[in-house]
Amino acid sequence: MGEDRRIGTGWWRGAVLVALATATLATACGGGDPESGTAAEDGVQPVSVYIGRHYGIEPVFEEFTAATGIPVVFTTGKDAELRERIEVEGANTQADVYLAADAGNLQLAADEGLLAPVDSPVLAEAVPERVRAADGSWYALSLRNRTIITSTDRVPEADVPTSYEALGDPRWKGRLCLRPSTSAYTQSLVSSLIASRGEDGAREVVDSWVANEPTYIDSDEDMIEAVSAGQCDVAVINHYYVPRTVAEDGPIPVRLTWPTEPPGVHQNVSGAGVTANAANPEGARKLLEWLATDGQRSFADVNYEFPANPTVQPREELLAFGPYTVDPVAVREFGPLQAQAVRLLDAAGYQ
Amino acid sequence: MSSTTAPTAVARRGAGRPRRSPAVAAVLGVTALVVLVPLVALLSSLLRPSTEIWSHLWETRLPGMLVSTTVLVGVVTAGAAVLGTALAWLVAAHRFPGRGLLVWLLAMPLAVPAYVSGFVWLDTFDRPGPIGRWWSGVAGLDAWYPTVRSLPWAALVLTLCLYPYVYLLALAAFRDLPAGRWETARILSGSRWRAFRDVALPAARGAVIAGSVLVALEVLTDVGTVRLFNVQTVADGVFRVWFGLADREAATELAGLLLLAAVAVLLAERRAAARQHEATGGREATRLELEPVGGRGVLAVVGAWIVVLVALVFPVGRLVGWTVEAVQRGTTASAAGGIDHHLRSSLVVTGWTVLACVVIGVAVAVAARWGRGRQHRALAGATTLGYGLPGPVIALGVLVVLAAIDRTGWLPRGTLLVGSLVGLVVALVVRYLALAVKPAEQAVGRVGQSTEDAARALGAGPAGVVGRVQLPLALQGLAVAGALVALDVIKELPATLLLRPFGVDTLPVWVWEASSDSRWVEAGPPALVLVALAAVPTALLLRLTARGRRVDW
Repeated sequence: MGEDRRIGTGWWRGAVLVALATATLATACGGGDPESGTAAEDGVQPVSVYIGRHYGIEPVFEEFTAATGIPVVFTTGKDAELRERIEVEGANTQADVYLAADAGNLQLAADEGLLAPVDSPVLAEAVPERVRAADGSWYALSLRNRTIITSTDRVPEADVPTSYEALGDPRWKGRLCLRPSTSAYTQSLVSSLIASRGEDGAREVVDSWVANEPTYIDSDEDMIEAVSAGQCDVAVINHYYVPRTVAEDGPIPVRLTWPTEPPGVHQNVSGAGVTANAANPEGARKLLEWLATDGQRSFADVNYEFPANPTVQPREELLAFGPYTVDPVAVREFGPLQAQAVRLLDAAGYQ
Repeated sequence: MSSTTAPTAVARRGAGRPRRSPAVAAVLGVTALVVLVPLVALLSSLLRPSTEIWSHLWETRLPGMLVSTTVLVGVVTAGAAVLGTALAWLVAAHRFPGRGLLVWLLAMPLAVPAYVSGFVWLDTFDRPGPIGRWWSGVAGLDAWYPTVRSLPWAALVLTLCLYPYVYLLALAAFRDLPAGRWETARILSGSRWRAFRDVALPAARGAVIAGSVLVALEVLTDVGTVRLFNVQTVADGVFRVWFGLADREAATELAGLLLLAAVAVLLAERRAAARQHEATGGREATRLELEPVGGRGVLAVVGAWIVVLVALVFPVGRLVGWTVEAVQRGTTASAAGGIDHHLRSSLVVTGWTVLACVVIGVAVAVAARWGRGRQHRALAGATTLGYGLPGPVIALGVLVVLAAIDRTGWLPRGTLLVGSLVGLVVALVVRYLALAVKPAEQAVGRVGQSTEDAARALGAGPAGVVGRVQLPLALQGLAVAGALVALDVIKELPATLLLRPFGVDTLPVWVWEASSDSRWVEAGPPALVLVALAAVPTALLLRLTARGRRVDW
């Protein structure tokens, strides 16, 4: 009776389920590996990249393939997680190149022996000593400045803070937006403060920020929005978000200024290294060399970053922000200070 | 009377003694091994805690993390339990225009990932959003405005995304409430409310608890939504320590704390479930007669529509808006490919994971049933532990183990588990097997022992019993298992992000790529397709709830 009916409907549902599963698996087999087509093209071994900077990257790699005939496969992810993956994969790693948007993670990868030093005259000439590993295990490809934005509506020109320390001035109480301490950008900025002023000096600065009861926003782009909408009057962001927002949405009531007081602008990098166990180290080296020279324009310009190669001009929109003095400490110094910076932020009660 | 109680009586007469066949032990053992090895690989560091980091954490963030985790899990679970139960009772026992539609729509917020809802809410309600700008225009910039990036708002968003777990299970329980008992209680107590409290609610108690446990575990292991809203939970702390202090050991120790909490939740559920009385009447009992709503009931219906509006129409509406904008701007592809590429990736990953979870879930359930010993049950329980840990923690554990296997050279030359589809599916199975095991246990348990004995008496071997007798009866439970797993896998981000092979980029990966850069408009198309895809298993769950015999998850 009822039991029979149940069996019947059970089968019917099962059939639907099985059909669905089959369809899916069929797609799996038929769809296969969409990337492999490019890879196998001319029998040239592709370069595979684990990449933490995913914005607008595909056309750049296509350009490289067009110029050199070497195909590129890539997988996106978070800098730190990709580094973990390379470490765990060890000798079997599928990555030839580790491309990260933070010098701290690049230097950590180098310290863990995940990157093989590349001895390349091309790279040595193209990338300044300040923005690469001492042993050539990674090279910066583009530069991003951590800088200060203010509201043009509510902050007169004369009041614009000229240093990161000045953000701790009580006049900014309740008017300051900062990125939380989970962000590599915050960690890197505080590392640079430790490098230039020592731990106690850095702690003083961070304490004064916290005393201003900042609004923590985990997105640079949202901080621009917050300043233009009046949620805060001053914020610290990476410079390229401003021209990018202007290009997309038109003019905004936000002013970008470079900190002028010594040691100057805190700079971080997008950079890359060849993995220690790369299957295609030769192709990987070529990719790095191309990105640091012929590919500089596309790589830096797509994201409004400064080219790492000083012989390449930045975009015009960037020149409009005027010249700046950069913190002279080599960016590789910030990585080893990162954990110390995080502890300092924890202790200061910085969110 | 329900057939679930029948087999026990037969079994007690001695027909179904626990069998200690090596096959049973092997199935359970291997499955438990697959799940446990990655966890053990990680948690072994718990045995030698690095006290230095703990004292640093204890002096700084840990107390706050414990408080916010407890408050968030408590508030969301309670909120989802109350909201889910109330909405289920409204549609299960009342008649009003639009009821049929409302039954469906109330389940659908489950298809919207909390991290997607989260950024829709932020973009709309935070000060720079349209509402905040309007308020600034009306009241001025210095006027008070709520802090949207805060725990209360995170709790609100999570509750609205997760209450359907309770709603679906409670709905099934209310449908099984025998009309006769309800009527009697109503007449005797003289008040609908008291009858609801004394008869309907106890009947749904187990269902509400089971749904609440799912909600609690989802919140406990959430790492995306909490960060959007600046809520420092323990799960968030795992990543602060892991990537900020670059201390994987201390991070896994913190994850161990999370696992303990999850085990506590699961044990509490077990105790609560054990105390539950058999309150269902089964299919044979007449169903509740729907009563027309009146007076305050109308308010309840309005309230339910508001829930639909806020939890479903609003986020999906914004996603549609962004999608239209993205189409106009021509940004409807990611770096990896178009919608078709991502949809195919999502289908492939989900399909294999669902298949694996259901097959393994059945194996575990059958083995646990045949073994019936205490150790067998413990092993079966152990296979579900992965649900108590955040995705990235599992992913790292699986990564460590797979890489170790790759290094042994057991595999054919050139084959690697890390970075393969197999590796990703293993991780997702470890994470979500729990969702399949419970319905599979019920599906298998539904088959009367008498049926099994009869089949054996007629000469069917163990394989025949499973294949020809138990499986057909259990298919409904398996569909529930598959739908539950699919629902989570379709939305899964962290493990997929870390473990996916080249060329496999699921829809959430694209959503993440766009949204991690605050490019909401570009996140629109993949998020919308993602919601549409997740609506399929949600609808299936509702359908399975609405018809046939009840399967609790």
